[in-house]
Amino acid sequence: MASTNPLFIPVVLGTPRRGRVSEHVARFIAEDLAARDSVQSEVIDIRDLPLPTDDAGEQAKDPGFSAAAMKADAFVIVAPEYNHGYPGLLKHALDTNLKEYIHKPVGICGVSAGPFGGTRVIENLLPVMRELGLVTIFWDINFSSVQNAFDEKGKLTEEAYVRRTDKFINELIWMAKVLKYGRENVEI
Amino acid sequence: MAKEKLICNVCGAEMNNHAEKIGYEARAGANWESDPDFGGLLEEIHTCPKCGGVEATLAIE
Repeated sequence: MASTNPLFIPVVLGTPRRGRVSEHVARFIAEDLAARDSVQSEVIDIRDLPLPTDDAGEQAKDPGFSAAAMKADAFVIVAPEYNHGYPGLLKHALDTNLKEYIHKPVGICGVSAGPFGGTRVIENLLPVMRELGLVTIFWDINFSSVQNAFDEKGKLTEEAYVRRTDKFINELIWMAKVLKYGRENVEI
Repeated sequence: MAKEKLICNVCGAEMNNHAEKIGYEARAGANWESDPDFGGLLEEIHTCPKCGGVEATLAIE
């Protein structure tokens, strides 16, 4: 049974830092998603979330982020690699939801200024995704030397990312459709 | 015997229980009783097929 509602797939921009090139990545992915039939997308910028840092979980939840996560059928996380790890504020933001994520797919875009394209941040995020109840897809996108992949206005300059993103999003949408059906119809 | 379906508090449709998860809380002063077999709170996750709403409830077995 195919759902007639469009899929909602937000892109979480996982760093609040000034000068972040990850913002170009997040907007590029969100535009690609939104250009597809029956998909809606938006960028969730963790910089804009009014999250207290002296509490966690339900107590620190932002109603807007929670509502977007509940509405979501899948997620993309854009995560720059900081000293081989994920940004602390990204983890803090993700931890404010739980039931909103369960049995929803997630794809991760790693971002780095060096040659490895955030490989290590992706690997570090995988066990976190699992504990949050998210289902990871097997395609990632590694944005290596990201400062060279976009121009100063955020336009993509490395065309190879077009096909890479296409494969990544195709897999994510397939998982989103299957898991949406499961959440709504298959009882545990 | 089939369990009673949770009713969506947004749109009134029957929700689907599609997951169970153990939750832990280490907050000072928190008053909760952990499941002795799992060492945490066993929760059920329900999704509404009509409006997409999600609810978490304590599991009743």
